[in-house]
Amino acid sequence: MLALLAGLGILPNLNAQNDLQISRVFEVYGEKKGSVMVELTDEMLDGYDFSLFKSITINNNLPAADFIRKCLAKDEAGAKKVKQVVSNGVPTSIYLQLPRKGSLYRLILFNETYKPVQKITLIYIESKNDSEDVLKLILKKK
Amino acid sequence: MKIVIKHKTDFSKADRLIEKYYDGLTTVEEEKQIQHFLSQPDLPERFEVDKEIFGYFDHKKKKLHKSILPYFRWASVAALLAAIVFSLQIYMNTNRSNYACIDGKKIYDVHQIKSQALESLQDVSSKTNEVEDGFKNLNDHQLIEQQLDVFSGL
Repeated sequence: MLALLAGLGILPNLNAQNDLQISRVFEVYGEKKGSVMVELTDEMLDGYDFSLFKSITINNNLPAADFIRKCLAKDEAGAKKVKQVVSNGVPTSIYLQLPRKGSLYRLILFNETYKPVQKITLIYIESKNDSEDVLKLILKKK
Repeated sequence: MKIVIKHKTDFSKADRLIEKYYDGLTTVEEEKQIQHFLSQPDLPERFEVDKEIFGYFDHKKKKLHKSILPYFRWASVAALLAAIVFSLQIYMNTNRSNYACIDGKKIYDVHQIKSQALESLQDVSSKTNEVEDGFKNLNDHQLIEQQLDVFSGL
């Protein structure tokens, strides 16, 4: 039965994000005031072909930023840190390339800005396309 | 009343019963008696047609019984699997559908969701500009001079 479900591609999708600490960020802050959470499954987004796209934007919430940084520190284990920007000793931008889960490439993108207000953006992406290609697409100048 | 038809002794009674059967007037018990009679070996040739008719029905019944069971079993397994997969898909759809949650309020309009998703992507990619700006600042002569001024007083 498990083999059948795995064959249907159901099992990897069910668990791909659940093993990560950042899934708690979406749980805790996703439905709070001042947050914008987005979840897109198997959708084309401006030319990107994502199996799963999850993002959360939180405004004016310093404890949330600290919580996310702690989660990211745990999720960094086994991941490739593509980019990190540290400002005043605090990471304000982190891009992680996670190990593949089944056929899925996974990425975590975190960014914190302070102008005009403190704004945190956390994005989790699953894609069948190579995560480096996805990163190139995302990071190209808009 | 039970009529026992004995081989080669009471063919006329069997004839009467068979005729009654074709007229659709026999009881279940009488039909059983006919079947029993026709199942006997070495019957006269004139009973061959009746034997075939009864034999055909009997054979068809058995064949149906034999052939339907395995299909039914497989159909049950297939239905069970389909139900499990269907339930999982429903579970996945309810847990992983497309939506945006703004200040705790859920939105299911795909255009709005995509717009929010693109906005968050731009937030992340715009950081590149900030880094570049930072590098530009590092090259700023005014800033360097200001920093050197700190040491000029020493």
